[in-house]
Amino acid sequence: MGLFILLGLFALLITFGLPVAYALGIAALSSFFYEGLPVLIGVQRIVSGVSIFSLLAIPFFIFAGELMLHGGIAAKLVRLASSAVGWARGGLGQVNVFSSMLFGGISGSAVADVSALGSLLIPVMKEKGYGDDYAVNVTVTSSVAGIMIPPSHNMILYAVAAGGGISVSNLFLAGIIPGVLMCIALGFAARWVAIRKNYPTEPFAGWMAVGVAAISAVPGLFTAVIIVGGSLSGVFTVTESGAIGCIYAIVITMFVYRSLSWQGFCTSVQRAVRTTGMVMILVGCASAFGYMLALYDVPKMLTDMLYVISDNPIIILLMMNMMLLILGMIMDMGALILICTPIFLPVAVGLGMDPIQFGIMLMMNLGLGLCTPPVGGCLFVGCAIGDVPIQRAVKSIWPFYLAIFSALMLITFVPAVSMILPNLIGL
Amino acid sequence: MDNAAAKKNIAQQLINLIATTCTLISGLSLVTLTLTFGWLVYGRYILNSTPTWVEQLALLLIITITFLSSAVGIKERTHLAVDILPQMCSPKVQLLFRIGCDLVLAGFGLLLALMAIELIEFSWYKRIPLLDIPEGIKYLPVTLSGSLLVIFSLNNIRNSVARLRSPDCNKRLSNKSGED
Repeated sequence: MGLFILLGLFALLITFGLPVAYALGIAALSSFFYEGLPVLIGVQRIVSGVSIFSLLAIPFFIFAGELMLHGGIAAKLVRLASSAVGWARGGLGQVNVFSSMLFGGISGSAVADVSALGSLLIPVMKEKGYGDDYAVNVTVTSSVAGIMIPPSHNMILYAVAAGGGISVSNLFLAGIIPGVLMCIALGFAARWVAIRKNYPTEPFAGWMAVGVAAISAVPGLFTAVIIVGGSLSGVFTVTESGAIGCIYAIVITMFVYRSLSWQGFCTSVQRAVRTTGMVMILVGCASAFGYMLALYDVPKMLTDMLYVISDNPIIILLMMNMMLLILGMIMDMGALILICTPIFLPVAVGLGMDPIQFGIMLMMNLGLGLCTPPVGGCLFVGCAIGDVPIQRAVKSIWPFYLAIFSALMLITFVPAVSMILPNLIGL
Repeated sequence: MDNAAAKKNIAQQLINLIATTCTLISGLSLVTLTLTFGWLVYGRYILNSTPTWVEQLALLLIITITFLSSAVGIKERTHLAVDILPQMCSPKVQLLFRIGCDLVLAGFGLLLALMAIELIEFSWYKRIPLLDIPEGIKYLPVTLSGSLLVIFSLNNIRNSVARLRSPDCNKRLSNKSGED
């Protein structure tokens, strides 16, 4: 009955439109009350769930992303991508994918990626004769790179949800190859659609232009190097590297690029605290919710259920992927990371999967969820920018879904794809 | 403008002011957080003396940012929500869903505020190590957040009820702040 209250009340509240974070908190406190546990302890768990030192990196990554967004770095990366890959068939589609890979490495957020690159590239693509649905689809699906390519605040959420035993630096390393692989797959999909629809190519601007664009983009790209390199080398902790990344981003955008105004800075701070509040209250409430899930032994129940269906690891992994994909379609990523990790991770580890590999698989599954209706943050933002109805975008998005799905299968069944870098140079 | 409308306007302005103040405090906390970590690294590598208080201060600041910003998020409706069912209904029913959700949120806010007051009382005489201030301080933003949840939710309810009574209650609702 207690578990029914926990899950049932949560499902009911989110169905009625209550914010997910508060629905988690209310369901958790109700279960505390039902079980006769002091509700005070539940509130204390919410607060202690927020005040975890390793989570401090999250506001820094979000802040750095906002500073880059308002500091004009996205435009420089698009220029670099355009000069480097714009000459290929369906050139702007390739530019879009390549820009997402570069920008995702800085912002760490898929939605930031869509809004920054989408507002730059979608209008240009439409103007040059590309289909508006194509422009939206490429932008939306390639934004998943923001989650896979480090730094990514979702990976910190995963590390915390997994119990804190996983190195965030290793997770960052593990995301690189899958993220690049996914972008290559998306590049092929973009090219295939471009050939079928006879989309134009851009003239090659020459190596000189590539060099100039690269030099101009390097200071901005260096933010990612500071954040990832700083924590990997052991010079900084992940949290410190996030803070140093923010300070560097302020210096670069204000004094080198001179593209971040005081107004832009204030907007960045305002947006960063807004997003931080949203993410961190989710973390706090999910912490109380997770406590009750563990109390009801839900992870063991799920493991037993999956083993009843099949004891074949391939089938179980496929089922897990399917469940995560479906959940990703109906709920937001942050909440799902916090809820699903304690439930699914023991099953994955039981099958011999490394927690880091599982983390990367989880990110890509839920990242794909951001691009699917009915609750796809990236899809909504992309369609709003491109002024394309969601139904029309979804009709022609399947080659891109297929590309991400093929990368997902590689990550699931070939451990080396995620594990080679952590094993080679990890901490 | 009649007396009731003027009062309503003043109340709305007051609520906007509270929300802006909370955002300002959160923003200053974020900038302070960033600078203190910069100071931590500077102290460790340049001054050869790590400021150990940074970690405890950072945890206080993150609680402040989280609880104040999340309360403002209720006013501005920026929280992540899965409103599939309300979206399928008519605008009037959507408003009723919103009123219901805001009522639940107000109740939750009240509970949060009361529990946090108990936690403050319980932990006031303990000290936060290195900062040497009462531990109860870390629950102050939680109390404030709970109270703000009540205020903002009740304000949202008032706006929804006013809209329900207005002739344009059949227009589609936006999820953006200030548009309802």
